[in-house]
Formats: sequence, structure tokens, C-alpha cells
Amino acid sequence: MYSGEFDGAAAFSGGGFMPSQATTVPDPSSSFSKNRNVRTLLPMTVKQLSELSSNDESSASIDGADVNTITVVGIVCDMQDKEPQFIFLIDDGTGRIECSRWAHEQMEFNEVNQISKGMYVRVYGHLKAFQDKRSLNAYSLRPIIDFNEITSHFVECIYVQLYNTRLRYSFDEGKSIDQMVLNFLRRPEFLANNNGVHRNVISQQLNLPMDKLMEALESLNENSLVYSIDEFHYKSAVNA
Amino acid sequence: MDTSNPAVFVNGGLMCIYVGRRIRTVMQVIQSDGGGVTGKSTDGHQLVVKGPQPGFPLTTFVEIIGIADTDRSIRAEIWNNFGNTFDTQSYNQLCQLANGEFKHLFI
Repeated sequence: MYSGEFDGAAAFSGGGFMPSQATTVPDPSSSFSKNRNVRTLLPMTVKQLSELSSNDESSASIDGADVNTITVVGIVCDMQDKEPQFIFLIDDGTGRIECSRWAHEQMEFNEVNQISKGMYVRVYGHLKAFQDKRSLNAYSLRPIIDFNEITSHFVECIYVQLYNTRLRYSFDEGKSIDQMVLNFLRRPEFLANNNGVHRNVISQQLNLPMDKLMEALESLNENSLVYSIDEFHYKSAVNA
Repeated sequence: MDTSNPAVFVNGGLMCIYVGRRIRTVMQVIQSDGGGVTGKSTDGHQLVVKGPQPGFPLTTFVEIIGIADTDRSIRAEIWNNFGNTFDTQSYNQLCQLANGEFKHLFI
């Protein structure tokens, strides 16, 4: 998949961080439908969680990746016992998020009893949203023992964001972002439309961050493959 | 979710940007006395940490979360023992990334 020396997908595939190579990039026209075959586990900061694109967790996505299960690392700054529900307020340095852990069996109670206020913990859970308030439904909470795990977690957050915004598109079946944008603008419905396509539509449909899209459009423009109709609309210069 | 009071990852060299603001850093403890705790940051600068010290003994590496008083001193809110071994090089690089290209993931 990669032409470089480091194969990120293979390195992380065992841990389930990235969708496997067998997963195809979702069809852009259905980019907001939940792809139930892809189970992602994303390391995230609370700041990232607070900026997720949708209020409805069933279609939340970040940088083009579906958000299913996430993991955060932070300090327990508050705990509430509302048995069988235990609520932990986790502060990871970028923000605070509430995590609920439900305990019904002894093993689950044992897990919860290990956690105390002021402790660094690793949480795995599903994002849930209720009336604009986001929290985590945690299925695993454990104390951090080796503090290098904290450094490692945040480095992984950075890597995953880099992968989803840049590397995935650069190496995906040899297509570059430029090629993706060009293919999109060469769709029959857009070729036929003399008004061009608004850059927000391209960004949304291809799940591309605006700065990456603008780089691609400028490069394609310079090579006379696309032209701009006005400040925001673009059209392919060549018929497919 | 509340992102109103973050603590920024810093090393000694980055503290000057955040004077007066809430920061977090890991340092190696050199000395502890009435004046505070002196430590070495992950990029080799000497830092002084003031404020009520925790009731427990400090390990070699300690995380301090608090307010940067000056570019080399911190008023501590929280002290976390990080043990006697810690990868300072990786932490240092994380500080640089978290304040550079990937700042938007943190603050």
C-alpha cells in the first residue's frame, strides 16, 4: 500500500486503529451513511471530540473516518457512584469529558473499584450524545501504570489525524488528492453544469479538509485541468 | 464536554509562550527544599516549581500541572509521580508537535 519504508497500516492493523486495506473508501455520495462493516478504534483528544462534525453520534465522522469506538487517556478529576452506573469526569489536558461505566458483574465492579480520583486512566468507549452534550459510554477503564503510555497516546492521536487527512489519500490506490478532485469534477452531472461546483460541495463530498482541497484546485488550475468560474466554483477544463 | 481550561504540553523552551497560562510538563527532579522543587525539563532547562508540595515523596520524574509564573518557574496545582524511568525524548518531541503543526488537536 505504501511506497515508503514505514507501513503504517500494517503496523497498526493488529490494534484496530485503521480500517483494514480491504475496506474501500466510502462512495462519496453516501459519505454520511454509517458503514457498519468498518469498526474503527480511534485515539482522540477531548478537544477533537468537542469538534466532531455532527451532533448525532450515529453519523459522527472526523477527517473522513467514521467514529465508532474511541480511546482517551486522562486524569480522573471527579467520580460519582450511582450504582450500577459509575460516572467519571476525565481531564486529558485538552478538555474534560464525562465517561459512564455500567457495572453488573463482579469483574466490572472490580474494574471500577481500582479507579480513584487523581489517577491517570485509559478509557475505551463509544461516543454518545444527548441534547447537545457529548459523553462516553465506557466499556473499559484501567489505571495507567507506565506513564510513557500518556506520551504514546497523544502521539497516536497526531498520527491518526495525519493519516486520515494526508497519507490515506496520498497512497490510496496510487491516487493523489489532485486526481480525486479531478475525477470528481469530471462526473457527467458536473461537466454538464456551466455554473461549476462550489468548493464546499467538493470538500464535503470527498471528505477533504478545505486547505488540502484548495492546494489541489490551485495545482489543477495551474495545469489548466480545471478553471474557476468565480471565487468559489470550479469546473473541469477537459471533457472526460 | 468542557475545553475551557486546557493545560498545554510544554518543555522548558516553550514556557515563555505561555507565561500566565495553564501548562503541563514532565521534569526530572534535581533538588527539593523550602524554596520549591528544582528540576530539569525534557529539553535540558532548569525549572523551579513552587506551591504546596504533595504529601507523598516524589519519584525521579514528575508531571507538574499548573500556571507558568515565568519562563522558568511554575506554580503547581497538581503533582503526578511518573516513576523512575521515563522516555523524555519522546515527550519532548510531543511538546514540539503539540505546539506546532498539530496545535489544533490540543488547544
